[in-house]
Amino acid sequence: MTKTILQANNISKYFGSGVSEVRAVNGVNLKIKRGELVLIMGPSGSGKTTLLSMLGALLSPTSGEIIIDGTDISSVKEAALAALRAQKIGFVFQAFNLLEALTAEENILFPAQLGTEGTQGAKKRLDELLTRLGLTARRKALPNTLSGGEKQRVAIARALINRPPIILADEPTGNLDSHKGQEVMMILHDIARDDGCAVLMVTHDPRVEEIADRILWLEDGALRDRKSEQHSWVIDPVCGMRVDEWTASVMTEYNDKKFVFCSSRCLSRFEARPEYYVNNR
Amino acid sequence: MLYWSLKPLFTEPMRLMVSALAVAVSFSLVIFFSAAFEGESEQMVVYLEKMDADVWVMQKGVSNMHMASSMVWDWKADKIAQMPEVREVAAILYFNGAVKIGGKDWFSYVIGVTPDYSHTGPWAMVQGKAMPGPGEVVIPEVTAKLTGVQIGDEITLVDQSLKVVGLSKGTFSMASSIVFVSREDLGDLLTGRDQYSYIMVYAKPGIDAQALTARIKDEVDKVNALTSDAFIDSDRQLALQMGAEIIRMMTLLGTLLATLIVAFTAYSLIARKKQELAIAKAVGFSNSQIYLAALCQSLVITVLGLLFAVLISFTLLAWLPTIVPQINLAVRLHQFTSLAVAILPVAILASLCAARTVARVDPMTAFHR
Repeated sequence: MTKTILQANNISKYFGSGVSEVRAVNGVNLKIKRGELVLIMGPSGSGKTTLLSMLGALLSPTSGEIIIDGTDISSVKEAALAALRAQKIGFVFQAFNLLEALTAEENILFPAQLGTEGTQGAKKRLDELLTRLGLTARRKALPNTLSGGEKQRVAIARALINRPPIILADEPTGNLDSHKGQEVMMILHDIARDDGCAVLMVTHDPRVEEIADRILWLEDGALRDRKSEQHSWVIDPVCGMRVDEWTASVMTEYNDKKFVFCSSRCLSRFEARPEYYVNNR
Repeated sequence: MLYWSLKPLFTEPMRLMVSALAVAVSFSLVIFFSAAFEGESEQMVVYLEKMDADVWVMQKGVSNMHMASSMVWDWKADKIAQMPEVREVAAILYFNGAVKIGGKDWFSYVIGVTPDYSHTGPWAMVQGKAMPGPGEVVIPEVTAKLTGVQIGDEITLVDQSLKVVGLSKGTFSMASSIVFVSREDLGDLLTGRDQYSYIMVYAKPGIDAQALTARIKDEVDKVNALTSDAFIDSDRQLALQMGAEIIRMMTLLGTLLATLIVAFTAYSLIARKKQELAIAKAVGFSNSQIYLAALCQSLVITVLGLLFAVLISFTLLAWLPTIVPQINLAVRLHQFTSLAVAILPVAILASLCAARTVARVDPMTAFHR
């Protein structure tokens, strides 16, 4: 039986107090096993990132407990929590968050000094990840010379360098075009399948649903069952992809009409030449 | 972590240079104040050093030349010269006060010399004669340059007009220049024609100067005798004591300025990298690890600043007296070593601002899009 690596028991997070209290996450229970790719979806402001931050030991829940690889993190001190993050969790962010002054390989090795192997010991793992993610030729490149897809692949390699059992990804395809987004999703899918990592991904991207093992629907801070009829498909005017209007976070208004996009990249293109895309829909 | 903290410094060399140069300027100011003060202090004892006597004899109760007056009967010089341990004596009359040169008062050591003791005059001349006769004066070359006074012009010593007959080298000081007049003129002024102020004693080879001072004090009535080293040291201490507080204050201000510059640089480096700090925290670095990285950045800037300061001091400060001759600068190794000792506290203090920022960075901001 596959081991549960990440568990949340009735966790809640409230911000503010009294009448201004906001319940960002309210009584969430979940269990994630090794090798699972789990999506957290839901409308904007539903508490997805707050939940991800708590599961990543970056934010303490107001109540409830989080167990990472058998350790209840509510009793762990800040310094030990940082060490636990370094060894158990890999983060992939929407904005890539690479360190500007470091090359691709230096970025990947950045968390390695906190891992069990150390920076020198992780060199073999680095080569393996560079090959696997098709970054060997770009290993000496600085982030400002990398494409969006390359940046996200570097960020994924960085998340994997310490061989963490859990990968938390926050909108990893949000800043990528559809082709690059597809590529990143397949990498994350392979990480779950081949490496046995538990991959928990917050996303608005409906294309990921096809490769996910489970989809958790977060609404008003609580997990709910997701009904298929809640889709409202529209077409991205830039790339022509199908986008669920109900869950989309990238949208704009032009001439009193609402336009929904699969990614912020498509939005940027639209904003540069709105007339062109409106007239060619 | 160390690599991550230092690499951005060197990938932005212009920013690093500007920061290090700003630190260097403040350190150089400290070195400049210290060098100027030390240069002046050394200049104030230059006459004593150049005379190269073994023992100095003066009026009882006097132990300095700077800010002092001394009168010793001239027969006492003859008595000392008779001592079997003494090879030679020389004597001067001395007065310190203002001399009007080119319409401006210059605080000076006025040395009254006599041809009997010719080496008590200026040790290096630029122009004219070294030994002034009655009604004549030898002034520093730098004073002449600054005032436009030339050979043949007149200056005023109290109520006497004296004709400039020579320009000496190495005798100028902002605090106290050395002016040479005849013993007769100064004797008239001090109503002491048969007196000297200081007697320089040159011992025979193998004679212990310390023992000679004791013997002189024993055998010559109402005099004080000091070895040359003790006399020079006493004058130097007095000179240093007079400006030590000012220099200490200047050094403190310069160091504070350097600290502020390093603090600002370290803070701006950290403030610009808040998002990267959040990422570092998210991936598992602790506050103390990040703070240490900030400290290393401050240390690099400070050390680089000191190196630049050394470079500036040895080039600019050594060259400065050639264009501003009235400045006497003495650049010494100990001025740098004291600053080098100050580096670690400066870097620690400077990085405290950054530490506050480091502690406040929320790793959750790594999720900001």
